Amino acid sequence: MNPWATGIIHTLLLIVIMLLNGSMIIYMLRKVLGHLHLRLGPTELGPGGILQLVPDIVKLLVKEDRHPGTTDRWLYIIAPVIVFVPALMAYIAIPFSDKLIGFDVNLGVLMLFGFLTVIPLGIFAAGWGSHNKYALIGAMRAVGGAISYEIPLLLSALIPIMLAGSFSLKAITMAQTTSIWYWLPAFPAMVIFFICSIMETNQSPFDMSEAESELVSGFNTEYSAMRFGFMYLAEFSNNFIMAAIMVCLFFGGWSLPFIDPNSMGVFAPIVFIIKTYLVIFAFMFVRGTFSRYRVDQMLAFGWKKLMPIALVYSVVVAFFVKLISMKTGGGL
Amino acid sequence: MARWKFPVGIFKAMRIAWINLWRKNIVIQYPHEHYELPARARWSVEMTLDENGHHKCTGCKICENTCADYIINIDLSVDEERNKHINHWLYQRGACMMCGLCVEACPFDAIHMGKNIELAYFDKEDLTDDLLTDIDAVKPPRKERPAPTMKAEGGTDGDDS
Repeated sequence: MNPWATGIIHTLLLIVIMLLNGSMIIYMLRKVLGHLHLRLGPTELGPGGILQLVPDIVKLLVKEDRHPGTTDRWLYIIAPVIVFVPALMAYIAIPFSDKLIGFDVNLGVLMLFGFLTVIPLGIFAAGWGSHNKYALIGAMRAVGGAISYEIPLLLSALIPIMLAGSFSLKAITMAQTTSIWYWLPAFPAMVIFFICSIMETNQSPFDMSEAESELVSGFNTEYSAMRFGFMYLAEFSNNFIMAAIMVCLFFGGWSLPFIDPNSMGVFAPIVFIIKTYLVIFAFMFVRGTFSRYRVDQMLAFGWKKLMPIALVYSVVVAFFVKLISMKTGGGL
Repeated sequence: MARWKFPVGIFKAMRIAWINLWRKNIVIQYPHEHYELPARARWSVEMTLDENGHHKCTGCKICENTCADYIINIDLSVDEERNKHINHWLYQRGACMMCGLCVEACPFDAIHMGKNIELAYFDKEDLTDDLLTDIDAVKPPRKERPAPTMKAEGGTDGDDS
Protein backbone atom coordinates (compact mmCIF):
# COMPACT_ATOMS: atom_id res chain seq x y z
CA MET A 1 0.00 0.00 0.00
CA ASN A 2 1.08 3.52 -0.70
CA PRO A 3 2.91 4.77 2.42
CA TRP A 4 1.22 8.17 2.06
CA ALA A 5 -2.20 6.53 2.10
CA THR A 6 -1.37 4.47 5.19
CA GLY A 7 -0.01 7.56 6.85
CA ILE A 8 -3.17 9.54 6.16
CA ILE A 9 -5.43 6.68 7.28
CA HIS A 10 -3.48 6.29 10.51
CA THR A 11 -3.62 10.02 11.18
CA LEU A 12 -7.37 10.10 10.57
CA LEU A 13 -7.79 7.11 12.88
CA LEU A 14 -5.81 8.93 15.55
CA ILE A 15 -7.99 12.03 15.12
CA VAL A 16 -11.14 9.91 15.49
CA ILE A 17 -9.78 8.26 18.63
CA MET A 18 -8.82 11.65 20.00
CA LEU A 19 -12.24 13.14 19.23
CA LEU A 20 -14.06 10.23 20.84
CA ASN A 21 -11.77 10.37 23.83
CA GLY A 22 -12.11 14.12 24.19
CA SER A 23 -15.88 14.05 23.98
CA MET A 24 -16.08 11.15 26.44
CA ILE A 25 -13.91 13.03 28.91
CA ILE A 26 -16.01 16.19 28.49
CA TYR A 27 -19.17 14.20 29.20
CA MET A 28 -17.51 12.49 32.16
CA LEU A 29 -16.27 15.82 33.51
CA ARG A 30 -19.77 17.28 33.45
CA LYS A 31 -21.25 14.26 35.14
CA VAL A 32 -18.56 13.89 37.82
CA LEU A 33 -18.46 17.61 38.64
CA GLY A 34 -22.25 17.65 38.66
CA HIS A 35 -22.53 14.83 41.16
CA LEU A 36 -19.77 16.36 43.30
CA HIS A 37 -21.87 19.53 43.48
CA LEU A 38 -25.10 17.60 44.17
CA ARG A 39 -26.32 18.33 40.66
CA LEU A 40 -26.98 15.88 37.85
CA GLY A 41 -25.03 17.17 34.86
CA PRO A 42 -26.54 16.73 31.40
CA THR A 43 -29.73 14.66 31.41
CA GLU A 44 -31.89 15.71 28.49
CA LEU A 45 -30.54 14.17 25.30
CA GLY A 46 -30.17 10.41 25.13
CA PRO A 47 -29.74 8.05 28.08
CA GLY A 48 -28.07 10.02 30.86
CA GLY A 49 -27.58 12.99 28.55
CA ILE A 50 -24.81 11.25 26.59
CA LEU A 51 -25.98 12.66 23.26
CA GLN A 52 -25.45 16.19 24.56
CA LEU A 53 -21.99 15.95 23.02
CA VAL A 54 -23.34 15.87 19.48
CA PRO A 55 -25.06 19.28 19.53
CA ASP A 56 -22.07 20.68 21.43
CA ILE A 57 -19.65 19.63 18.71
CA VAL A 58 -22.05 20.75 15.97
CA LYS A 59 -22.34 24.10 17.70
CA LEU A 60 -18.57 24.52 17.76
CA LEU A 61 -18.37 23.58 14.08
CA VAL A 62 -21.07 25.88 12.76
CA LYS A 63 -20.39 28.94 14.90
CA GLU A 64 -19.05 32.06 13.30
CA ASP A 65 -15.27 32.14 13.31
CA ARG A 66 -14.86 35.63 14.67
CA HIS A 67 -11.51 37.23 14.16
CA PRO A 68 -10.78 40.38 16.20
CA GLY A 69 -9.20 43.09 14.12
CA THR A 70 -6.20 43.94 16.29
CA THR A 71 -4.71 40.47 16.62
CA ASP A 72 -1.31 39.36 15.48
CA ARG A 73 -2.92 37.47 12.63
CA TRP A 74 -0.29 34.85 11.96
CA LEU A 75 0.19 33.87 15.62
CA TYR A 76 -3.54 33.96 16.23
CA ILE A 77 -4.18 31.46 13.44
CA ILE A 78 -1.25 29.16 14.13
CA ALA A 79 -1.69 28.94 17.94
CA PRO A 80 -4.56 26.41 18.03
CA VAL A 81 -2.58 24.20 15.67
CA ILE A 82 0.49 24.35 17.90
CA VAL A 83 -1.69 23.35 20.83
CA PHE A 84 -3.58 20.65 18.96
CA VAL A 85 -0.86 18.82 17.02
CA PRO A 86 1.37 17.76 19.96
CA ALA A 87 -1.70 16.56 21.80
CA LEU A 88 -2.53 14.43 18.78
CA MET A 89 1.02 13.22 18.21
CA ALA A 90 1.45 12.10 21.80
CA TYR A 91 -1.05 9.32 21.16
CA ILE A 92 1.38 7.39 18.99
CA ALA A 93 3.69 6.48 21.85
CA ILE A 94 1.05 5.29 24.30
CA PRO A 95 1.12 1.49 24.72
CA PHE A 96 -2.51 0.36 24.87
CA SER A 97 -1.24 -3.23 24.92
CA ASP A 98 1.99 -5.02 24.00
CA LYS A 99 0.93 -5.02 20.33
CA LEU A 100 -1.42 -2.05 20.11
CA ILE A 101 1.10 0.74 20.18
CA GLY A 102 1.60 3.28 17.45
CA PHE A 103 5.34 3.50 17.59
CA ASP A 104 7.40 1.86 20.32
CA VAL A 105 10.25 4.33 20.73
CA ASN A 106 12.99 3.34 23.12
CA LEU A 107 12.86 6.88 24.51
CA GLY A 108 9.05 6.92 24.65
CA VAL A 109 8.71 8.78 27.94
CA LEU A 110 11.06 11.50 26.80
CA MET A 111 9.26 11.81 23.47
CA LEU A 112 5.86 12.16 25.15
CA PHE A 113 7.13 14.82 27.52
CA GLY A 114 8.79 16.51 24.59
CA PHE A 115 5.45 16.75 22.80
CA LEU A 116 3.69 18.00 25.92
CA THR A 117 6.33 20.70 26.43
CA VAL A 118 5.39 22.28 23.10
CA ILE A 119 1.85 22.98 24.30
CA PRO A 120 2.68 25.98 26.56
CA LEU A 121 4.35 27.51 23.50
CA GLY A 122 1.04 27.33 21.64
CA ILE A 123 -0.77 28.71 24.64
CA PHE A 124 1.63 31.63 24.81
CA ALA A 125 1.26 32.22 21.08
CA ALA A 126 -2.51 32.31 21.55
CA GLY A 127 -2.29 34.75 24.44
CA TRP A 128 0.22 37.01 22.71
CA GLY A 129 -1.50 36.93 19.35
CA SER A 130 -4.92 37.74 20.80
CA HIS A 131 -3.92 41.30 21.71
CA ASN A 132 -5.97 41.11 24.87
CA LYS A 133 -4.68 41.75 28.36
CA TYR A 134 -6.58 38.86 29.92
CA ALA A 135 -5.34 36.46 27.27
CA LEU A 136 -1.77 37.67 27.75
CA ILE A 137 -1.90 37.37 31.53
CA GLY A 138 -3.38 33.89 31.22
CA ALA A 139 -0.72 32.84 28.75
CA MET A 140 2.08 34.15 30.96
CA ARG A 141 0.65 32.30 33.93
CA ALA A 142 0.49 29.11 31.86
CA VAL A 143 4.13 29.43 30.85
CA GLY A 144 5.21 30.28 34.41
CA GLY A 145 3.34 27.26 35.71
CA ALA A 146 4.73 25.00 33.03
CA ILE A 147 8.30 26.04 33.80
CA SER A 148 7.92 25.52 37.52
CA TYR A 149 6.04 22.24 37.33
CA GLU A 150 7.72 20.42 34.49
CA ILE A 151 10.92 19.94 36.48
CA PRO A 152 9.31 18.04 39.38
CA LEU A 153 7.16 16.23 36.80
CA LEU A 154 10.18 14.94 34.94
CA LEU A 155 12.07 14.20 38.17
CA SER A 156 9.19 12.13 39.48
CA ALA A 157 8.86 10.34 36.14
CA LEU A 158 12.56 9.53 36.42
CA ILE A 159 11.98 7.22 39.37
CA PRO A 160 10.02 4.48 37.55
CA ILE A 161 12.51 4.88 34.72
CA MET A 162 15.35 4.18 37.14
CA LEU A 163 13.50 1.26 38.69
CA ALA A 164 12.78 -0.29 35.30
CA GLY A 165 16.05 0.70 33.72
CA SER A 166 14.45 1.87 30.49
CA PHE A 167 12.87 4.91 28.88
CA SER A 168 10.44 2.87 26.81
CA LEU A 169 6.88 2.91 28.15
CA LYS A 170 6.42 -0.67 26.99
CA ALA A 171 9.55 -1.83 28.81
CA ILE A 172 8.47 -0.01 31.98
CA THR A 173 5.08 -1.72 31.80
CA MET A 174 6.68 -5.12 31.24
CA ALA A 175 9.08 -4.55 34.16
CA GLN A 176 6.07 -3.96 36.42
CA THR A 177 4.54 -7.31 35.45
CA THR A 178 7.52 -9.15 36.92
CA SER A 179 7.84 -7.03 40.07
CA ILE A 180 5.22 -4.95 41.91
CA TRP A 181 3.54 -1.88 40.43
CA TYR A 182 5.75 1.12 40.99
CA TRP A 183 3.27 3.27 42.86
CA LEU A 184 4.16 1.36 46.05
CA PRO A 185 7.95 1.82 46.08
CA ALA A 186 7.63 5.25 44.41
CA PHE A 187 4.64 6.58 46.31
CA PRO A 188 5.97 10.16 46.83
CA ALA A 189 6.93 10.26 43.16
CA MET A 190 3.40 9.22 42.24
CA VAL A 191 1.89 11.99 44.37
CA ILE A 192 4.24 14.58 42.85
CA PHE A 193 3.52 13.29 39.36
CA PHE A 194 -0.21 13.52 40.02
CA ILE A 195 0.00 17.12 41.26
CA CYS A 196 2.24 18.15 38.37
CA SER A 197 -0.07 16.46 35.87
CA ILE A 198 -2.92 18.61 37.11
CA MET A 199 -0.75 21.67 36.53
CA GLU A 200 0.41 20.39 33.15
CA THR A 201 -3.18 19.96 31.96
CA ASN A 202 -4.23 23.38 33.32
CA GLN A 203 -6.90 22.01 35.61
CA SER A 204 -8.27 23.36 38.84
CA PRO A 205 -6.81 24.01 41.46
CA PHE A 206 -3.96 25.14 39.17
CA ASP A 207 -6.05 26.55 36.33
CA MET A 208 -4.60 30.05 36.57
CA SER A 209 -4.12 30.26 32.82
CA GLU A 210 -7.87 30.30 32.27
CA ALA A 211 -9.13 31.44 35.66
CA GLU A 212 -12.67 32.32 34.68
CA SER A 213 -13.41 34.52 37.65
CA GLU A 214 -10.33 36.66 37.06
CA LEU A 215 -9.39 36.47 33.39
CA VAL A 216 -12.66 35.99 31.49
CA SER A 217 -11.42 32.80 29.87
CA GLY A 218 -7.65 33.23 29.97
CA PHE A 219 -5.58 32.56 26.92
CA ASN A 220 -8.53 31.48 24.76
CA THR A 221 -10.65 34.56 25.49
CA GLU A 222 -10.57 35.81 21.90
CA TYR A 223 -11.10 32.43 20.29
CA SER A 224 -14.41 31.15 19.05
CA ALA A 225 -15.88 28.37 16.95
CA MET A 226 -13.56 25.54 15.93
CA ARG A 227 -10.38 27.38 16.83
CA PHE A 228 -11.61 27.34 20.41
CA GLY A 229 -12.75 23.76 19.83
CA PHE A 230 -9.19 22.72 18.98
CA MET A 231 -7.87 24.21 22.21
CA TYR A 232 -10.66 22.69 24.23
CA LEU A 233 -10.14 19.28 22.69
CA ALA A 234 -6.37 19.47 23.13
CA GLU A 235 -6.87 20.22 26.80
CA PHE A 236 -8.92 17.06 27.34
CA SER A 237 -6.62 15.06 25.13
CA ASN A 238 -3.71 16.14 27.32
CA ASN A 239 -5.73 15.01 30.26
CA PHE A 240 -5.97 11.54 28.76
CA ILE A 241 -2.28 11.47 27.83
CA MET A 242 -1.11 12.46 31.31
CA ALA A 243 -3.39 9.84 32.84
CA ALA A 244 -2.09 7.24 30.38
CA ILE A 245 1.52 8.07 31.20
CA MET A 246 0.70 7.83 34.88
CA VAL A 247 -0.89 4.41 34.36
CA CYS A 248 2.16 3.23 32.42
CA LEU A 249 4.67 4.54 34.93
CA PHE A 250 2.98 3.72 38.22
CA PHE A 251 0.03 1.39 37.74
CA GLY A 252 1.37 -1.35 35.53
CA GLY A 253 -0.01 -0.26 32.15
CA TRP A 254 -2.26 -2.85 30.57
CA SER A 255 -1.30 -5.61 33.05
CA LEU A 256 -3.26 -6.89 35.99
CA PRO A 257 -1.77 -8.51 39.12
CA PHE A 258 -1.67 -12.34 39.19
CA ILE A 259 -2.53 -12.55 35.48
CA ASP A 260 0.00 -13.53 32.85
CA PRO A 261 0.58 -10.37 30.77
CA ASN A 262 0.97 -12.40 27.59
CA SER A 263 -2.46 -14.03 27.95
CA MET A 264 -4.36 -10.74 28.23
CA GLY A 265 -5.07 -10.56 24.49
CA VAL A 266 -7.92 -8.22 23.58
CA PHE A 267 -8.57 -7.35 27.21
CA ALA A 268 -5.28 -5.52 27.51
CA PRO A 269 -6.43 -2.26 25.84
CA ILE A 270 -9.69 -2.39 27.79
CA VAL A 271 -7.84 -2.77 31.08
CA PHE A 272 -5.53 0.07 30.08
CA ILE A 273 -8.39 2.40 29.19
CA ILE A 274 -10.31 1.58 32.36
CA LYS A 275 -7.23 2.33 34.45
CA THR A 276 -6.66 5.55 32.54
CA TYR A 277 -10.21 6.69 33.10
CA LEU A 278 -9.89 5.91 36.81
CA VAL A 279 -6.89 8.25 36.94
CA ILE A 280 -8.89 10.85 34.98
CA PHE A 281 -11.64 10.43 37.56
CA ALA A 282 -9.09 11.22 40.24
CA PHE A 283 -8.11 14.38 38.33
CA MET A 284 -11.74 15.41 38.14
CA PHE A 285 -12.29 14.62 41.80
CA VAL A 286 -9.46 16.97 42.73
CA ARG A 287 -10.81 19.51 40.27
CA GLY A 288 -14.23 19.43 41.88
CA THR A 289 -12.89 19.56 45.44
CA PHE A 290 -10.33 22.32 45.69
CA SER A 291 -10.55 25.99 45.02
CA ARG A 292 -8.00 27.82 42.90
CA TYR A 293 -4.61 28.73 44.33
CA ARG A 294 -3.09 32.15 43.95
CA VAL A 295 -0.34 32.42 41.35
CA ASP A 296 2.40 33.08 43.89
CA GLN A 297 1.17 30.20 46.05
CA MET A 298 1.26 27.91 43.05
CA LEU A 299 4.78 28.92 42.06
CA ALA A 300 6.01 28.74 45.66
CA PHE A 301 4.49 25.28 46.01
CA GLY A 302 6.17 24.12 42.83
CA TRP A 303 9.62 25.57 43.48
CA LYS A 304 9.88 25.31 47.26
CA LYS A 305 8.03 22.09 48.05
CA LEU A 306 7.68 19.81 45.06
CA MET A 307 11.05 20.32 43.45
CA PRO A 308 13.24 19.71 46.55
CA ILE A 309 11.17 16.67 47.48
CA ALA A 310 11.42 15.27 43.97
CA LEU A 311 15.15 15.96 43.81
CA VAL A 312 15.93 14.36 47.17
CA TYR A 313 13.68 11.41 46.49
CA SER A 314 15.20 10.74 43.08
CA VAL A 315 18.70 10.85 44.57
CA VAL A 316 17.66 8.43 47.33
CA VAL A 317 16.05 6.05 44.83
CA ALA A 318 19.08 6.27 42.55
CA PHE A 319 21.31 5.38 45.50
CA PHE A 320 19.24 2.33 46.43
CA VAL A 321 18.89 1.19 42.84
CA LYS A 322 22.65 1.35 42.44
CA LEU A 323 23.16 -0.45 45.75
CA ILE A 324 20.81 -3.28 44.86
CA SER A 325 22.17 -3.64 41.35
CA MET A 326 25.70 -3.82 42.77
CA LYS A 327 24.64 -6.59 45.16
CA THR A 328 22.62 -8.62 42.69
CA GLY A 329 24.61 -7.71 39.63
CA GLY A 330 21.55 -6.67 37.67
CA GLY A 331 18.45 -4.50 37.66
CA LEU A 332 15.62 -4.69 40.14
CA MET B 1 10.07 30.80 59.29
CA ALA B 2 6.56 29.51 59.70
CA ARG B 3 6.30 25.99 60.99
CA TRP B 4 5.18 23.55 58.35
CA LYS B 5 2.05 21.71 59.33
CA PHE B 6 0.71 18.58 57.74
CA PRO B 7 -2.05 19.70 55.33
CA VAL B 8 -4.98 18.04 57.07
CA GLY B 9 -7.45 20.33 55.33
CA ILE B 10 -6.74 18.76 51.95
CA PHE B 11 -7.83 15.35 53.17
CA LYS B 12 -10.82 16.76 55.02
CA ALA B 13 -11.95 18.47 51.83
CA MET B 14 -11.50 15.30 49.81
CA ARG B 15 -13.47 13.32 52.38
CA ILE B 16 -16.35 15.79 52.16
CA ALA B 17 -16.24 15.73 48.37
CA TRP B 18 -16.32 11.93 48.40
CA ILE B 19 -19.35 11.94 50.69
CA ASN B 20 -21.04 14.49 48.44
CA LEU B 21 -20.40 12.33 45.41
CA TRP B 22 -22.76 9.68 46.76
CA ARG B 23 -25.37 11.97 48.25
CA LYS B 24 -28.69 12.37 46.55
CA ASN B 25 -28.77 15.41 44.32
CA ILE B 26 -30.74 18.39 45.55
CA VAL B 27 -31.87 19.81 42.24
CA ILE B 28 -35.31 19.43 40.74
CA GLN B 29 -35.48 18.74 37.03
CA TYR B 30 -37.69 21.71 36.41
CA PRO B 31 -39.78 21.11 33.31
CA HIS B 32 -40.33 17.49 34.33
CA GLU B 33 -40.65 17.95 38.08
CA HIS B 34 -42.10 20.75 40.14
CA TYR B 35 -41.78 21.98 43.65
CA GLU B 36 -44.89 21.63 45.72
CA LEU B 37 -45.89 25.24 46.35
CA PRO B 38 -46.67 26.30 49.90
CA ALA B 39 -50.37 26.55 50.74
CA ARG B 40 -50.30 30.34 50.93
CA ALA B 41 -48.18 30.92 47.83
CA ARG B 42 -49.45 33.93 45.89
CA TRP B 43 -48.96 34.18 42.17
CA SER B 44 -51.03 35.72 39.43
CA VAL B 45 -54.64 36.75 40.03
CA GLU B 46 -57.28 34.30 38.89
CA MET B 47 -61.05 34.28 38.85
CA THR B 48 -62.75 32.22 41.53
CA LEU B 49 -65.47 30.10 40.02
CA ASP B 50 -68.47 28.78 41.87
CA GLU B 51 -69.67 25.19 41.74
CA ASN B 52 -71.44 25.79 38.43
CA GLY B 53 -68.27 27.11 36.88
CA HIS B 54 -69.57 30.64 36.83
CA HIS B 55 -67.57 33.65 37.87
CA LYS B 56 -68.59 35.77 40.86
CA CYS B 57 -67.53 39.23 39.69
CA THR B 58 -70.10 41.94 40.20
CA GLY B 59 -68.13 44.61 38.40
CA CYS B 60 -67.92 46.81 41.47
CA LYS B 61 -64.38 47.93 40.55
CA ILE B 62 -63.15 47.87 44.15
CA CYS B 63 -60.20 45.79 43.06
CA GLU B 64 -59.40 48.25 40.30
CA ASN B 65 -59.45 51.11 42.78
CA THR B 66 -57.39 49.20 45.33
CA CYS B 67 -54.66 48.06 42.98
CA ALA B 68 -51.43 49.83 43.87
CA ASP B 69 -49.97 49.36 40.40
CA TYR B 70 -53.08 50.31 38.42
CA ILE B 71 -52.91 47.12 36.43
CA ILE B 72 -56.54 45.99 36.68
CA ASN B 73 -58.89 47.60 34.20
CA ILE B 74 -62.52 46.54 34.14
CA ASP B 75 -64.36 47.72 31.05
CA LEU B 76 -68.06 47.84 31.94
CA SER B 77 -71.20 48.83 30.16
CA VAL B 78 -74.39 49.45 32.09
CA ASP B 79 -77.87 49.23 30.58
CA GLU B 80 -80.98 51.17 31.56
CA GLU B 81 -81.94 48.71 34.27
CA ARG B 82 -78.51 49.14 35.80
CA ASN B 83 -77.41 45.65 34.82
CA LYS B 84 -73.67 45.60 34.40
CA HIS B 85 -72.01 43.87 31.49
CA ILE B 86 -68.26 43.15 31.61
CA ASN B 87 -66.69 43.76 28.20
CA HIS B 88 -63.14 43.11 29.35
CA TRP B 89 -61.50 42.30 32.67
CA LEU B 90 -57.91 43.28 31.82
CA TYR B 91 -55.09 42.17 34.08
CA GLN B 92 -51.50 43.17 33.26
CA ARG B 93 -49.73 40.14 34.62
CA GLY B 94 -46.27 41.41 33.74
CA ALA B 95 -46.64 44.45 36.01
CA CYS B 96 -48.36 42.71 38.91
CA MET B 97 -46.38 42.54 42.13
CA MET B 98 -48.59 39.83 43.61
CA CYS B 99 -49.37 41.92 46.69
CA GLY B 100 -52.87 40.50 47.00
CA LEU B 101 -54.53 43.78 47.94
CA CYS B 102 -57.23 43.27 45.26
CA VAL B 103 -58.08 39.86 46.67
CA GLU B 104 -58.35 41.28 50.18
CA ALA B 105 -60.49 44.12 48.94
CA CYS B 106 -62.98 42.06 46.96
CA PRO B 107 -66.21 41.82 48.98
CA PHE B 108 -67.55 38.94 46.92
CA ASP B 109 -64.49 36.61 46.89
CA ALA B 110 -64.52 36.80 43.13
CA ILE B 111 -60.76 36.63 42.67
CA HIS B 112 -57.92 34.79 44.33
CA MET B 113 -54.16 34.56 43.98
CA GLY B 114 -53.44 31.56 41.77
CA LYS B 115 -50.61 29.04 41.86
CA ASN B 116 -49.46 29.46 38.29
CA ILE B 117 -45.73 30.14 38.58
CA GLU B 118 -44.93 29.89 34.88
CA LEU B 119 -45.31 33.55 34.00
CA ALA B 120 -42.80 33.79 31.17
CA TYR B 121 -44.13 34.39 27.66
CA PHE B 122 -42.64 34.66 24.23
CA ASP B 123 -44.88 37.55 23.26
CA LYS B 124 -45.26 40.86 25.04
CA GLU B 125 -49.00 40.92 24.35
CA ASP B 126 -49.44 37.70 26.36
CA LEU B 127 -48.45 39.57 29.50
CA THR B 128 -51.83 41.30 29.54
CA ASP B 129 -54.54 38.80 30.19
CA ASP B 130 -58.28 39.18 29.64
CA LEU B 131 -59.75 37.24 32.53
CA LEU B 132 -63.41 37.84 31.63
CA THR B 133 -64.63 38.81 28.18
CA ASP B 134 -68.13 39.89 27.16
CA ILE B 135 -70.07 38.41 30.04
CA ASP B 136 -72.77 39.66 32.35
CA ALA B 137 -71.70 40.69 35.80
CA VAL B 138 -73.28 38.96 38.74
CA LYS B 139 -75.98 40.85 40.58
CA PRO B 140 -74.69 41.36 44.06
CA PRO B 141 -76.78 39.52 46.60
CA ARG B 142 -78.63 42.18 48.50
CA LYS B 143 -79.44 41.73 52.12
CA GLU B 144 -83.13 41.98 52.86
CA ARG B 145 -83.28 45.13 54.87
CA PRO B 146 -85.88 45.25 57.60
CA ALA B 147 -88.71 47.55 56.75
CA PRO B 148 -88.07 51.03 58.08
CA THR B 149 -89.80 51.44 61.36
CA MET B 150 -91.40 54.69 62.32
CA LYS B 151 -89.91 56.53 65.18
CA ALA B 152 -91.95 56.27 68.31
CA GLU B 153 -94.61 58.92 68.17
CA GLY B 154 -94.88 61.17 71.09
CA GLY B 155 -91.64 59.84 72.42
CA THR B 156 -89.14 62.12 73.85
CA ASP B 157 -85.47 62.48 73.14
CA GLY B 158 -84.76 61.88 76.75
CA ASP B 159 -83.75 65.32 77.80
CA ASP B 160 -86.88 65.85 79.82
CA SER B 161 -86.12 63.43 82.57
